[in-house]
Amino acid sequence: MHVHELNPKKTLVTVIIFVLIILVGFLTLKKPRFTYKLSLQQSIQLLHDKDACFQPFQLADVLNKVNGEVVLIDIRDKFTYGQGHIPGAENISAYDLTDPENIEHLKELRNKNMTVVLYGNDQLQANGPWMWFRQTGFNNVKILLGGYDYYKTHKNTLAETKGDKSYRKGMARYDYAKVARSTTVNNNSQKTAKKKPVVIRRKKKVVAASGGC
Amino acid sequence: MNRNYLFLTLIMLVLAAGTLFLKKTPEYKQIKPETLLWDIIQPTRYVSTDQVAKMIIDKDPSLELVDVRDVNSFEKFALANAVNVPLDSLLSPVSQDYFGLPGIKVVFYSNDDIAADQAWVITRRMGYGGTYVMKGGLNQWIETIIQPKEPREDEPYTAFEQYQFRKGVQMYFTGTKVENTIAKKKKVVVRRKKKQVAASGGC
Repeated sequence: MHVHELNPKKTLVTVIIFVLIILVGFLTLKKPRFTYKLSLQQSIQLLHDKDACFQPFQLADVLNKVNGEVVLIDIRDKFTYGQGHIPGAENISAYDLTDPENIEHLKELRNKNMTVVLYGNDQLQANGPWMWFRQTGFNNVKILLGGYDYYKTHKNTLAETKGDKSYRKGMARYDYAKVARSTTVNNNSQKTAKKKPVVIRRKKKVVAASGGC
Repeated sequence: MNRNYLFLTLIMLVLAAGTLFLKKTPEYKQIKPETLLWDIIQPTRYVSTDQVAKMIIDKDPSLELVDVRDVNSFEKFALANAVNVPLDSLLSPVSQDYFGLPGIKVVFYSNDDIAADQAWVITRRMGYGGTYVMKGGLNQWIETIIQPKEPREDEPYTAFEQYQFRKGVQMYFTGTKVENTIAKKKKVVVRRKKKQVAASGGC
């Protein structure tokens, strides 16, 4: 005979208490602030999604207030932002992105179906934060291609940049194999003449017993 | 049979059935999102083409170059001893062998730095450390290492030093004979004094 069978009620009570404790534990478990909403595979697929990017020519509509559903966020630091930014852009430095009030603000924008466009000086600066927001479920966040630098040089002709490819990243600008093989293209050494051998002239030794005239 | 036992058995069965609905655990251990963002913000992951060139020349055993472009581009041209892990196959089990080795510095590069940076973010989320991004990628490699530009006259001395370094590196990678164009050596003229001979006669 088992020990439990002596007092089956006690066993039942113990099991119920055990289950209750576990339940309470689960219910009071702290929810993490952020969780990944995209799997790694989805995160990689996202990188091919052209709709997740914001082209510079699309800015024209935003600046002319034709498109009112876009909020620009400048992730550079305050000082750089102060020196010049895209009109109407909010400044949330990359270091403050996860501050509770900023996250709350971004969630609000998401609920209102507003598009959030992140930008830094170049595309690279905003690339990481953009990927992070997408992975943690902010699927309204886009990245401005070309960044502020491109905007700055083209701010008066934004609408005409549609066909421009200079801000698109990821393309090879050279035929690497060819250039690496023949490097004489820019080689300065062509201009300079070959080094002349240093000629050392020695004077003839005067022989000791040389006579006079 | 005791009713309590029946009850216990039922609980066990329900719990066992519950395990069927458990989510599949992710294949890779992932770091917390907060940690990932913090690491993303730090610019410490970028290395310059000069640094990479120096490591290649020094035959640094801890360097592992990872080319994230597609196979075709990789076969046409790649940096010395680089391995090819296209961005899309970053999660394949074979690729995992390259990451997370103790003491190894993995340097990602692509045509420029965006794809390499994206590979960095993904691998960082997977928990791999010791990974870096070659800033500017191959485009920058060509501009600085294979075809370095001579600095203007008003540029600081360090720019000239850097140019000197790059010219040397260029020679290493391309095999071309490069001349020292900045500080042209002056012709060495050796003048020797006439030896005064003791018994030289005069007129």
